[in-house]
Amino acid sequence: MFLRLLFESFRRQKRRKSVALLAIALGMSIATAMIAVGNDIGDKINQELRSLGANLVVTPIEDTLDVNIGGVNLKPASEGAFINEQDLIKIKGIFWGHNIKGYAPFLNAPQKIQTHSGNIDAELIGTYFAQSLQYGKEQFTTGVRSVNPWWKVEGAWPQDYGDFPEQLPPDVLAGSKLAQQAGLNIGDQIEIGGRKLRISGILNSGGDEDQAIIAPLHIAQIILHQPNAVRRVTVSALTKPEDAFARKDPSKLSPPDLERWSCSPYANSIAYQIREVLPNARVEQIRPVEQNQGKVLSRVTGLMLLLSVAALLAAALAVSAAMAATILERRQEVGLMKSLGAGNTAVASLFLTEAGFLALAGGLIGFLAGAVLAHRIGQSIFGSAIVVHPVVLAVVLFAAVLVTFVGSAGAVRKAMQFDPAVVLRGDG
Amino acid sequence: MRHNRNTTQLLLRLLFKAAWVRKDRAFTALVSVAVVATIATAALTIYSNLEGNLSREFRGFGANVVVTKASGALSPDEIMDIRKIVGSTGEIAPVGYAIATETNSNAKIIVGGADIDTLRRLNSSWSFSNAGQGSALVGGRVDETITHGADLHLSFGTISAVIKPAGFFHSGSDDDSRVYIPLDDFMRLTGIQPNTALVRVEGKPQQIQNTIASLRVALPNAEVKPVRQITQAQTAVVGKTRSVVLASSAVVVVLIMLCMVATFTGSVLERRKDFAVMKALGASNRTVNFLFASEAALLALAGSAAGYILGCGIAFWIGKANFDAAILPQPLLLVPVLLGSVALALIASTAPLRLLQQIQPAGILRGE
Repeated sequence: MFLRLLFESFRRQKRRKSVALLAIALGMSIATAMIAVGNDIGDKINQELRSLGANLVVTPIEDTLDVNIGGVNLKPASEGAFINEQDLIKIKGIFWGHNIKGYAPFLNAPQKIQTHSGNIDAELIGTYFAQSLQYGKEQFTTGVRSVNPWWKVEGAWPQDYGDFPEQLPPDVLAGSKLAQQAGLNIGDQIEIGGRKLRISGILNSGGDEDQAIIAPLHIAQIILHQPNAVRRVTVSALTKPEDAFARKDPSKLSPPDLERWSCSPYANSIAYQIREVLPNARVEQIRPVEQNQGKVLSRVTGLMLLLSVAALLAAALAVSAAMAATILERRQEVGLMKSLGAGNTAVASLFLTEAGFLALAGGLIGFLAGAVLAHRIGQSIFGSAIVVHPVVLAVVLFAAVLVTFVGSAGAVRKAMQFDPAVVLRGDG
Repeated sequence: MRHNRNTTQLLLRLLFKAAWVRKDRAFTALVSVAVVATIATAALTIYSNLEGNLSREFRGFGANVVVTKASGALSPDEIMDIRKIVGSTGEIAPVGYAIATETNSNAKIIVGGADIDTLRRLNSSWSFSNAGQGSALVGGRVDETITHGADLHLSFGTISAVIKPAGFFHSGSDDDSRVYIPLDDFMRLTGIQPNTALVRVEGKPQQIQNTIASLRVALPNAEVKPVRQITQAQTAVVGKTRSVVLASSAVVVVLIMLCMVATFTGSVLERRKDFAVMKALGASNRTVNFLFASEAALLALAGSAAGYILGCGIAFWIGKANFDAAILPQPLLLVPVLLGSVALALIASTAPLRLLQQIQPAGILRGE
């Protein structure tokens, strides 16, 4: 009997049911889209903030002071201390290795550069461009192309040579200012330390590198006669914004606190772990980047969170109102059922079961539509998809049932309060 | 005249009774309009304030423009020009650099001369620790490798000086190997005038670009360089966040509007009996339309006015909670929100009447 009532109610009131279904589906697609976008926005904006570059810098503890003025390095090549290039791979092996998005080693020294038109003094910088490396079974590519995304190259990026190629002179980049001063063009050959090099591109970084020659690290090591030497490494790590706990001195923490501290990807704890694998290195936050990107990120995610909450509340209210409206119109039915002897429980359970079916169907349709919308937003703004986690489906279905029940329950109770006779007469 | 007054009275009574007798129906309609108006107002208000609010968060990154003279120093006039263009909201720190020798260790150190307070304000992200009564800011690495908290003994060619630290700082850049002293002391000791100005331009990405362009025009002999990673990140983050807020708000507003239209349409369709009775009593299509439309319009007006106020409140609260800054109501939004809601309500309530008009009132009353 109950099932027949339920079935007939859907069969005979197609119009009324489809209005309710539409409202639920619309509300739930808002919920799905906002949850998906709000959940993913942190990662997406974090990717955008990568364009600020590295947030940690590793230098040898024993190193002497940098003597760098207006982009001119006055520190002799042999002075100071170095980090061993072979040890750098250990950075990927720390507990938070997956948060290390990339690193770029640097070796630099002032050199005499022989061009076709004469000699000029400039800095030679050796680095990784897009070096592929292997840590355990993991293959990854790292270098300035990913760590310093604001570096713009006209022409071609050089390869990361492991050795001096036999045939061709290896490719290097010329800084844009240096190229202008010395009249260097793409394809020109220069000579540093008796080694021939070919300019494959002109670098525009907006910084001191614009006055330098940038070569693959191994080539620079050969020219400077410093095999495996690295002067400085910049590391780009995904970090958690710093809070009071993050600023604690790890050497003064109790063992459980130290564990909790190490298990949070704070810049300080990542720096601490890098120091553990590179004992002779000093690891510092690049403070303008590290201290502020978290702030910007939390503002954006906070905004989206609050907007999502507002949108979810609005969707809940709208769906509740729609459900209440459809049930309120059915008070005559309630009157009829009650006058035929149905109890309050029977009436309520019929209406709520109907609402439940509508909620599940609407929730499912809404989820699919919302997922498509979120995907579209991700593609058009960030050029990468916003993936809707399957768990959102469960959340959305639960929310749909809850919201429709809340909307229906009040209306059903209201409808039941009326005297059936009065309602049937049409006075209610 | 009397006839007219009677009609108006009847109309008002009908409208009022329709709402009063079925308070719950009127209430649900009111809620659905108010929800649309609230979310539209809140989203648009936040959107229009977003660029400025988010740009302010980039203040902590330090100087975003560097002005340098390749030869010679920045003249006081040029510094004045920069100040004028950048305005009172930005920061300007003229800096001069020289190489000094620490006499105890014989190490070479870069010494910068600048207004120490401005430098600290400009680089709020550096970590500072106070050291004492001195006047110099000493980089962390200088302190670690050479002075260990003691005074610095520097010689600038023939002139020697003892520099007392006021504090130590860590920046994570080359600055950690430098010492900053007040500009007057610097010029007295070295005879060098500042040739660089570190500039923090405040504003939206476009305003920063415009300021850079004006600086280039005003200072033809100097190089004006944006600190590209900062300006680029700001443009990308602000732009993309704006787009996301706009896109998701548009999705929410459009869907919730549809939801409201469905509710409205549904409830008008449920009133087919009212419609049939009116028709049976001799009301014309126009009168019925007018009656339903004015009821919807009044509800929409009340609902959207409430929604506008609520939406402004939500936007204000989100501003306070998220940006520590008030997002003020946009009076310009009031009219579009009200008109938009009324127009939607009119469409939603009169469109279903067309359908009903095709059916004979007798049919509806019989329950067909």
